[in-house]
Amino acid sequence: MSDQKLRVGLFVTCLVDLMRPRIGFSAIKLLESAGCEVIVPSAQTCCGQPAYNSGDRASAQAVARKVIDEFRDCDYLVSPSGSCAGMIRAHYAELLAEFPQQRAEVERLAARTHELTSFLVDVAGMTTVPGRFDGEVTYHDCCSGLRELGVKTQPRDLLGRVAGLKVSEMGTPEYCCGFGGTFSVKYGEISARIADRKCDDIASTGAAAVVLGDLGCMLNIEGRLKRRGDTKTRVYHVAEVLAGLDED
Amino acid sequence: MSARDNILARIRSARGAAAASAQSDLAAIDGRINQHPVGTRPAMHWDQVPRFREQCVRMSSTVDEVASMRDVPAAVARFLTEQGLPMRAVAWPKIAHLDWTGTGVTVEDRPARGDDLVGITGVHLALAETGTVMLLSGVDTPAATSLLPETHIAVVPAGRIVLAMEEAWARTREELGELPRAVNFVSGPSRTADIEGQLQIGAHGPFRVHVIVALS
Amino acid sequence: MNAPVPGFKARAHDKLNDAKIQRAMKNFNLAAARTRGVADLENLEDIRTAAASIRDHSLARLDLWLERFEQEATRRGTQVHWAETHDDINRIVIEIARRTAVKKIIKSKSMVSEESHLNAALEAEGFQVVETDLGEYIVQLAGETPSHIIAPAIHKNRDDVADLFVKHHGTPRKTDIGELTMEARKFLREHFLSGEMGISGGNFLIAETGSLFLVTNEGNGRMTTTLPRIHVAITGVEKVVPTLEDVSCIMRLLARSATGQSISNYVTLNTGPKRPGDTDGPEEMHVIIVDAGRTKLLGTDMQEALRCIRCGACMNHCPVYQNIGGHAYGWVYPGPIGSVLTPNYIGLENALDLPNAATLCNQCGVVCPVKIPLPELMRKLREKQVDRGLRPWQERLGLTLWAWAAQRPVIYGWLTGITARAGRFFGGADRTIRRLPGNGWTEGRDMPAPAGKTFRELYAKRKQP
Repeated sequence: MSDQKLRVGLFVTCLVDLMRPRIGFSAIKLLESAGCEVIVPSAQTCCGQPAYNSGDRASAQAVARKVIDEFRDCDYLVSPSGSCAGMIRAHYAELLAEFPQQRAEVERLAARTHELTSFLVDVAGMTTVPGRFDGEVTYHDCCSGLRELGVKTQPRDLLGRVAGLKVSEMGTPEYCCGFGGTFSVKYGEISARIADRKCDDIASTGAAAVVLGDLGCMLNIEGRLKRRGDTKTRVYHVAEVLAGLDED
Repeated sequence: MSARDNILARIRSARGAAAASAQSDLAAIDGRINQHPVGTRPAMHWDQVPRFREQCVRMSSTVDEVASMRDVPAAVARFLTEQGLPMRAVAWPKIAHLDWTGTGVTVEDRPARGDDLVGITGVHLALAETGTVMLLSGVDTPAATSLLPETHIAVVPAGRIVLAMEEAWARTREELGELPRAVNFVSGPSRTADIEGQLQIGAHGPFRVHVIVALS
Repeated sequence: MNAPVPGFKARAHDKLNDAKIQRAMKNFNLAAARTRGVADLENLEDIRTAAASIRDHSLARLDLWLERFEQEATRRGTQVHWAETHDDINRIVIEIARRTAVKKIIKSKSMVSEESHLNAALEAEGFQVVETDLGEYIVQLAGETPSHIIAPAIHKNRDDVADLFVKHHGTPRKTDIGELTMEARKFLREHFLSGEMGISGGNFLIAETGSLFLVTNEGNGRMTTTLPRIHVAITGVEKVVPTLEDVSCIMRLLARSATGQSISNYVTLNTGPKRPGDTDGPEEMHVIIVDAGRTKLLGTDMQEALRCIRCGACMNHCPVYQNIGGHAYGWVYPGPIGSVLTPNYIGLENALDLPNAATLCNQCGVVCPVKIPLPELMRKLREKQVDRGLRPWQERLGLTLWAWAAQRPVIYGWLTGITARAGRFFGGADRTIRRLPGNGWTEGRDMPAPAGKTFRELYAKRKQP
């Protein structure tokens, strides 16, 4: 077994970049802690999903081809987002079908792309996590991570290794939070109502925090909790909890 | 061009087929019909009679077991008495011509009408998988008898219980060749949940189904 | 006659704020029923694959399977009709009704007949039409359309039903659901016994035997196709299934997916009219095979939608449907399948909202018994809208600018840096933005403020010694 470290390209995601850089740094800490060499391609911006899901194929293709260029030299592309990892892994092949000359490359990238917690468990075999958290949390399964990438047990496995932390499952953790990308903006009323059901479910656990793996879900749930006047329930990205919340 | 011609033409053009169907296509159709492959199913490793009884109960029927067809009239009498039902029924000829003397039950050999309360039928086959009885329409097997009365009693010879619907088709092809006008699979009393999603037993069909399994 | 369905957002708004609808939708939990129902299938995923494959077999040679069905059905005495349009359906039924001099028509559920407004067309010609599925009956009394394809009246509560029965039956008011059901049984029994024509839908058409395959729990399907002297079945071209074994495989998933049962109460195969010596059965049996936009999907990227077996699982699991109910969708089929079929059947430009009003969570795709990739089809419809210039210019512009900036890291970094700082500023001390003008996010929730600097700039700084 080679001693050579896995070269992991971190795809930080546009929302983490804009809204919560700490999650990006937590991801780096975790990957390094798992023994990986972390590269952060500096020109990265977006995976193209907003355009793809809006039906603007050309825009999505342009952005996707840039991603392929940027991550060419990495052993893996890892992202703290089931949605972006899912976009690359499950959808790039279809999106770039009009570029048959790139097919092999696209398939290679897709095969090397992972959501963060599934990479840490399934590829890097991580068994100890640096973070500690005293209290009870509940976990929300982000739809893309769950249904496109099979991310389900891995975050719970890792959270189970966080000293002091207890996971209490909500009634329907797999139920959509209502974000849906541009859906949240175009059909805001329906989206907020779906989020409300998720917040009811979270509240029913009595947990101090809800933990999840996608920024879209995070902003949506946090935003709805605030509007409901809930100032107690915290919302954390799983990377932050695993890496330790004092990371900054 | 008729509607039929237009529709078929559109379909053929969509799949890139010529107007006259290729030999290979027709062979594929014939092949699938002749072979009628059984699709993937769950493993179903049960003893058929116990499974059938258990599923009948699960579908809200009641079940009784008797040694042979000779014991059916007494079993019917027992059931009607226990349920406080009138001791009167219409039945398929095969059932009507069992020996009902001494049971106190008056059985008429005719199809059910709107005002009959109890209908007794045999079955063509029964499905263990789902607690289902399979009834075929015919001169001696009127469909109304299992449909119109409030109570339907089905007499099931144990030897007519097969594992599942696929076995029933294989058996029926062997025994009859072609299907009769109506094949009815009945699994318990009628039901609906159309008002507030609350399950109600008893919609338009019978609201009571009693199955009597005759072991020999 | 296909009317456009604009006004989705307004309808959704009304339903979201209708306390009675919200109570009804909260109580509605066929999703849990399905979960219980499939628990006994250890090879559920393999069965789904088999069922999808059976549907694909039909669609791959649809013309030949339909011809075989017609041949077998005709041989057994069924009269087979073909309807290209919705108007054709109504015309054919009216012709049969006139020729056979019927006056009262009883119906067991047919969603295709909802597409063509058959009941209204028949009533306009002077025929009496009575729906016999309890949910459809309630909806008919209320002068409404169904809000779900399996449970048409879930938007009505027991008080609504009680009021309707008092008004239309003239009976004393009951509110016990059991009593209401028994009253419906009594009243509809009269109709069953006096109906002269029975119109049914058709869950499937079996090519091997020329049979109509009909599934109900109430028994009204059996009544409608046995008691009246004329039986007319209406179903779509896509419903043909090759063999008896094929339909048995699908049936295992249909009942579980719809209501969580291992089998529906009554599964009936009708093959032709009354035979000599038969004591029951109709004198004439007709099957109307309907196109009405279905064949247009064949051979296209929408073809998989034709696998649909109308179980309702997709809408039962859909977070959008669960909150807005079926009427908000504006046409016959609600939920995810409705969002795919409606634009395809009545025109992309007439149903712009439906494929967009979805989170693409794929709860529907996971439960669909025939593995229709519903979110993928919705996304493709969104692409078609963009290709045909049907999206608002602001949206097109926004996406184009986004993509432009996303390909230029320096400019992107600059823009995101400004946004992060501005957002942090407007978020104030409690780090919350309460109003974002121009979009729907803040209609129902706040926006947490950004941290204030972007990851890329912070990482770049850290990397420098």
